[in-house]
Amino acid sequence: MGGTTTQAAGSARIARRAPVQRRRRMSWIDRNFPRMAVLPTTLLMLLVFGLPLLFSAWLSMEAWSPDQSLFGGIYAGTDNYQDLLTDPQFIGSLVLTLEYTAVVVTAELGAGLGIALLLNIDLPWIGLFRTALIVPMMITPVVAAFCWKLLVDPDHGVINYFIGQHIVWLGRPDTALLSVSVVNIWQNAPYVAILLLAGLRSLPHEPVEAARIDGASRLQIFWHITVPLLRPYLLVALLLRLIFEFRSFDNVYVMTSGGPANATMTLSMYTYLASFVRFDLSLAAASSWMMLLISVILCGCFIVVVRRRDAL
Amino acid sequence: MKRRQAERIAVYAALTALIVIFLFPLVWILGLSLKTRLQVFASPPLFLWSPTFENYAATLSRADFGQAFVNSLLVSAGAVSLSLLVGVPAAYALARFSFIGRNVLFFALLSMRMLPPIAVLIPMYVLFSALGLTTTRTSVVLAYTTFSLPLVVWIMRGFFEDLPRELEESAWVDGASRFQAFLHVVLPLIKPGLVAACILCLQLAWNDFLFAAVLTSNATRTLPVLMAAFSGGDTGTDWGGMTASGVLVILPVILFAFAAQRHLVAGLSSGAVKG
Repeated sequence: MGGTTTQAAGSARIARRAPVQRRRRMSWIDRNFPRMAVLPTTLLMLLVFGLPLLFSAWLSMEAWSPDQSLFGGIYAGTDNYQDLLTDPQFIGSLVLTLEYTAVVVTAELGAGLGIALLLNIDLPWIGLFRTALIVPMMITPVVAAFCWKLLVDPDHGVINYFIGQHIVWLGRPDTALLSVSVVNIWQNAPYVAILLLAGLRSLPHEPVEAARIDGASRLQIFWHITVPLLRPYLLVALLLRLIFEFRSFDNVYVMTSGGPANATMTLSMYTYLASFVRFDLSLAAASSWMMLLISVILCGCFIVVVRRRDAL
Repeated sequence: MKRRQAERIAVYAALTALIVIFLFPLVWILGLSLKTRLQVFASPPLFLWSPTFENYAATLSRADFGQAFVNSLLVSAGAVSLSLLVGVPAAYALARFSFIGRNVLFFALLSMRMLPPIAVLIPMYVLFSALGLTTTRTSVVLAYTTFSLPLVVWIMRGFFEDLPRELEESAWVDGASRFQAFLHVVLPLIKPGLVAACILCLQLAWNDFLFAAVLTSNATRTLPVLMAAFSGGDTGTDWGGMTASGVLVILPVILFAFAAQRHLVAGLSSGAVKG
């Protein structure tokens, strides 16, 4: 009982004095609140991102195999990187990935812009179409790829039935690459469309109205007013898609596993095979660092674009 | 007037064509899942039949499917809870205060989201093996935070920035500590943001294949890993079972999509474009 009274008296004293103190100086906890709020995030990031990347950089400069102890590898310097750059399969994969990324992203942007323009027209029931189109981009990529695998099946696939031919889509290098690309375009063109639609909805009406009064045709309005105004959104969509297509893996893994004859061997697939099938983890680490380097360049472009846009 | 009506019809026709192109593959797969084995391989393909649910019954009674479903649920929920718990205070600090290392943290978060996952996965696999963590769900949850943590911070930062500063400031003047103001004044007001971040992260975690494929065993594998095992190599003959399980896997994410429709843009562009 006595203890409670003292406590009550104590807290009353603090309560009386606290506001004065706060006015003069914030408490230690309040002053350090931002630092404490970001501390768990910082620690977690170091644990799952910083530390692994450092370890991977080290691993890429070792000749390490899984039967050795964690730090039991032999220093190999840049050997792994030299091996990669002289490996025709890696170079082929690098070229293929860049080409694939360029083609798929171009198709996604083209289709996405077209869809966004259509969805931007105000009509009854348009919301229903907008909602329906987000379904492909939300679904599990592995499931999407495997659905398409059944659709393009040479014997029982519905696509061969429609075109009335017997094409072994995933068995030939050119059609295999096409099939793998189509799945990603199918999944991500709506993604671009939704992004660009948000851009279209936020554009000012006045320039278009003014041009219309001045007698500009629709094509002229689109080309000389809408596209320039939409440019920041197009750039963001472009860079995001570049970054995410560059790492394409799920569709390739399910549909072709990189074959036939390496025709669909994206860098992610190459690195995956090197690391988790052949267990040449040092070489794979080097390969993943090459991918990191290219992604960093893309990411840097992204930050520059976003910064510039914020400044506008 | 007539011209406008003709235009309208043209637009609806184009939209319908679009929907057919984008939804046909899924509708066809749904159809396959409702056919018997004989009907699946009928030539020419059947367009009208009386649907059967035997494939769904068979899939739902499979022990490995149930196990994978539970695993998917556990690792997704784990990754999202961890990311929210850790990331929301950080997002608040990033939106409201200036402190040393703020820009570094920003840059690191962005890189974490943008860099290829395989680059983190290789060292993670080696380190987790050394710690005896591979094939555990914990390792998958930790791996998933590499994408869900930046997403949470990015989305929530946007929501915090949209909130008027006066709310907390008046709480501070009334004698609340920074932490109390955050907990009792700010958090209740950004519940919609929490829901959006939660749904978008759940979708990413549910859909992941690469991390789970490497970091799980048969007992801890998630649904996408199981699906890939079904369809690896030859497509086999059990198309009904495969498509039924595919439909069951994507059903939750489609529901997420409808629930989070309003917030999709914010999540997709990771805050780069404000919708």
